[in-house]
Amino acid sequence: MAAVVLNKVGKKYPNGFHAIPAVDLEIKDGEFIVLVGPSGCGKSTLLRMVAGLESITDGELTINGTRMNDKEPADRDIAMVFQSYALYPHMTVFGNMAYGLKNRGVDKETIEQKVADVASMLDLSALLERKPRQLSGGQRQRVAMGRAMVRDPQVFLFDEPLSNLDAKLRVQMRVEIRQLQRRLGTTTLYVTHDQVEAMTLADRLVVLNKGNAEQIGSPLELYDRPATPFVAAFIGSPSMNLFAAQLNKKTLTVGNSVEISLNSEHAFNGSVVWGIRPEHLTVCETDADFKIRVKAVESLGAETLIYGEIDGVSEELVLRLSGPHQPEINSYISLQAPQDKWHLFDAETKQRL
Amino acid sequence: MTVTFPHKTLPWLLIAPQLLVTLIFFLWPAGQAVEQAFYQEDPFGLSREYVGLENFIELLQDPSYYNSIAVTFIFSFSVAVSGLVIALILATMADRILRGQMVYQTLLIWPYAVAPALAGVLWWILFDPAQGPIALWLEYIGVDWNHYVNGSDAMILVVIAATWKQISYNFLFFLAGLQAIPRSLIEAAAIDGAGPLRRFWDIVFPLLSPTAFFLLVINIVYAFFETFGVIDATTSGGPGQSTKILVYKVYEDGFVGLDLGGSAAQSVILMMIVGVMTVIQFRFIERKVQY
Repeated sequence: MAAVVLNKVGKKYPNGFHAIPAVDLEIKDGEFIVLVGPSGCGKSTLLRMVAGLESITDGELTINGTRMNDKEPADRDIAMVFQSYALYPHMTVFGNMAYGLKNRGVDKETIEQKVADVASMLDLSALLERKPRQLSGGQRQRVAMGRAMVRDPQVFLFDEPLSNLDAKLRVQMRVEIRQLQRRLGTTTLYVTHDQVEAMTLADRLVVLNKGNAEQIGSPLELYDRPATPFVAAFIGSPSMNLFAAQLNKKTLTVGNSVEISLNSEHAFNGSVVWGIRPEHLTVCETDADFKIRVKAVESLGAETLIYGEIDGVSEELVLRLSGPHQPEINSYISLQAPQDKWHLFDAETKQRL
Repeated sequence: MTVTFPHKTLPWLLIAPQLLVTLIFFLWPAGQAVEQAFYQEDPFGLSREYVGLENFIELLQDPSYYNSIAVTFIFSFSVAVSGLVIALILATMADRILRGQMVYQTLLIWPYAVAPALAGVLWWILFDPAQGPIALWLEYIGVDWNHYVNGSDAMILVVIAATWKQISYNFLFFLAGLQAIPRSLIEAAAIDGAGPLRRFWDIVFPLLSPTAFFLLVINIVYAFFETFGVIDATTSGGPGQSTKILVYKVYEDGFVGLDLGGSAAQSVILMMIVGVMTVIQFRFIERKVQY
């Protein structure tokens, strides 16, 4: 168990490509941190830099106060679960879990004891003599986790460990990983592109965009107060509705048809990005802020997603209503956007206002 | 998928060319050899006499035949082992380099395109005691090299020549095998505390073992049967009997010594060896070495 500190950690490839400019992150002992972002945002690279599989070209990484930049992966006291699981195909489940301990010169009895403990925790006791190819996807995933746990490392690193599982198993394993991490109290760094996974697992989330940490915070902080339009669009499903708009102290103008007067005067004057979440829009009879023309309806039973357009505005809008609804295509729906649920960003600097 | 032909004759016509080639160039000569092994024939092929198993009995009582078997085993084992080991080292190194890998690979494959006889002559000249650069260098460091009189030197020479050609082939298979091993396995082993050598022996080598086994059989077959050119162009089996492998003895006894019956009997024994090797190959390679 350890604190992990990234101090302006960056990665520059020999060809000059700056994959990760500089990330600052302080992970507290026992914390579960999720790195989330679209593919190609550098989240796996950052994780592999912490693991020691990629070199760190700028900044400093410390685990428990010790500088780790130039240490071999084996000397960092970390364990990693790979997306492909990376189980040794010619070794049994036992062999896979024991390998790391064996290399560290742990005596045979201790190895057997530790493997047996972890195996029973992960429900693998009956499978110890099997080879990886004789296991199902979920079982392989467990073995990969067991191999990480058995060494009792300072830090767990997970690289999209659930992306090869089917949807149902993914939810189940997600819950299990969270429980295990809580029980073991091991500092964890977890990479995923799935924002639901990120929200449910994390103590704190790091949203990465093009190698930059756009925002770091608890899942609800990120949901309630996204720092940038990127975070706003990334966290939450369906995504937040974002519109290019003009704000001049008292009114917000979107396109040429929407004009909303503000309840209280805003200091900002100029181009903004205006955001409102699909679940915060409400249908109304009178005092509508704007109207949308219905383009498509997705009925999910418990809720209904309505896709529509504001006349004269190019951006599409999503509306999320609970329960079943059946509006006609091309009919109009009047909506209110409660002002305490607005998200306003400076269109220039992309920062929250 | 099965294709059904309306006529019975068409399929036969379609496979006829392949069948004819097999019959004329493989089965017929093989049959002739088997037949001849039971006859004693005069050098001009004018008369012959049925002698039953006499050719075989004589052969199995001939110490020079056992010598040839021993020579063949030493030769094949040396060629297969050194060919595999060197190719594996080269492939491991080629797998590590990122830049210019294509150039490196292509250059390493070239020796395979050199005809066996030429490869033999090439090494023959390099090692020539009077003018070969390698032999002169050996003399400089105090090694007295002369494959014209020293049997071991001659053996080393033909092993080098035969191995040199086969390394390219082994290299290609090993490199493909290495590149098929997922990087994440190596990385997982690195995190698990295994150093480079440990990773090679614990992870890479076991995963390469199907390839290695396949190549072992292929290399033994190569050393047994396809190295005639190398031997003929260099030592011609000499000095004495020291590099006379079985295939070379078949040729020499038959076409130089004109003992056609004895040579045919040797061919029959060689055919049986090929048969056994083919069985091994099918039994184990088709099923792959399981891990």
